[in-house]
Amino acid sequence: MGWQAFLISLEVTSVATVLVVIVGTAAGLLLARVHFPGIQVVEAILMLPLVLPPTVVGYYLLRFLGNGGPVQRIFGINIVFTWGAAVFASAVVALPLMVQAARSAIRSVDPLLENAARTLGSSEPGVFFRVTLPLARRVLIAGAILSAARALGEFGATLMVAANIPGRTQTLPLFIYDAVNKQQYGVVNLVVGLLTGLGLVAFIIIGRLDPGYRR
Amino acid sequence: MSGTTRLSFSTSRRSVCISVIVLLVALSLFASACGSSGTSGSSTSASGPRVELVVSAAADLSPVLEELVPVFEKQTGMTVKTNIGSTGQLTEQITAGAKVDVFLAASKAAVDQLAAKSLLVAGSEQQYARGRLVLWTRPGSKVTAKNLQDLTNVDVKRVSLANPDHAPYGQAAKQALQSAGLWDQLQPKLVPAENVLQAFQFASTGNTDVALVALSLVAEEKGTYTLVPEELHQPINQTLAIPASSTHQEQAKEFVAFLTGGRGRDILKKYGFTLPDGG
Repeated sequence: MGWQAFLISLEVTSVATVLVVIVGTAAGLLLARVHFPGIQVVEAILMLPLVLPPTVVGYYLLRFLGNGGPVQRIFGINIVFTWGAAVFASAVVALPLMVQAARSAIRSVDPLLENAARTLGSSEPGVFFRVTLPLARRVLIAGAILSAARALGEFGATLMVAANIPGRTQTLPLFIYDAVNKQQYGVVNLVVGLLTGLGLVAFIIIGRLDPGYRR
Repeated sequence: MSGTTRLSFSTSRRSVCISVIVLLVALSLFASACGSSGTSGSSTSASGPRVELVVSAAADLSPVLEELVPVFEKQTGMTVKTNIGSTGQLTEQITAGAKVDVFLAASKAAVDQLAAKSLLVAGSEQQYARGRLVLWTRPGSKVTAKNLQDLTNVDVKRVSLANPDHAPYGQAAKQALQSAGLWDQLQPKLVPAENVLQAFQFASTGNTDVALVALSLVAEEKGTYTLVPEELHQPINQTLAIPASSTHQEQAKEFVAFLTGGRGRDILKKYGFTLPDGG
């Protein structure tokens, strides 16, 4: 049963991280390179899940994905209490970390280099994929790892929008919650140790990706 | 910072200052609002500080307490803080040492469990009501759920119930579905909630089609309910007790007397509870 939760966590975190890396990098590029009116408001909205209570994020998602919400009205599907909702919850709370990382990574790339590529005839996608992305790589990877760690740890919004269904939406954090309620401390200690270890490893890797790191 | 590519949340100093000021203003407004309500509250009480009772109540009692508590507070001058959860979670809290004055469980087993650990005022256990399990659909729902068998219909996509692991109404729902031979078949549709109130909320917001919940939650609500035959599950003998951790045991007894007295019985009846004999 803990095994099931592990697999669900793995799947939810993987899909959420892929989404977050794509959306977060695009948003980071926008924030770093384009200046438009209201940019600070957009940035603030993207950062919000970092400081909002998980219940507030959960409530927004319930309204957005649930019965009568825009997703149901437009696509005719209701993904509340499914695996998809758990992905959404994880992605939304992890997104600010990726946006922040992507923005500072892309800002650190000297625009002179991008302009040089442009004057040499490179297309805009070519500039991004062959100049900006390789130069920003390390920090982007660090951001992706941090986002994945946050997605893996998501609990509050998931509980509200995906519920706590063993074998379907029960991720490792929810599994711990239930197991504590049932006083199964043996398996709790095991999973807690695993998650703590993963968190430590994530930060050690992030530290090594820092350009200032000396081995 | 030397490295510009460092992963950091560096904000300009000015905006940090502004946000700190905004936070401080918000906090002071909040504190003053709390302070003023606090002083007005204490000025109304004639003799010293008001007694504050903590009542831990099973989630099915939520509407009952919403009606009963203000009446009790007005009559006695005490303040009641309600702590709503599943009976299993509330039992855990009391076992872990939570300071609770009255425990209104939705089962007898939870109270027995605490009594066995000597965590209750001896002899304070008392059955106060028997609950009923119902099938409920929200107003305007196109789904019909007249009996448990209807849950297998294709238009019923999701059914919410309280978590059978720690909520008595969830246990009753599981037993009823097992008795009807539907438990295994319905697994893919079942959405367990933290407690019976959340199971009801899932269905009332339309995110599940049917809820297997307590009659008390839906008796005064719109929507359609059907009683689940009582012989399909163990009786839901809702039992109360005064935890030994209570620091206001006299006032706790007063609350219990109020709940089991005329006014309390009237309110319990209104929400569909079957009452023990005695008046």
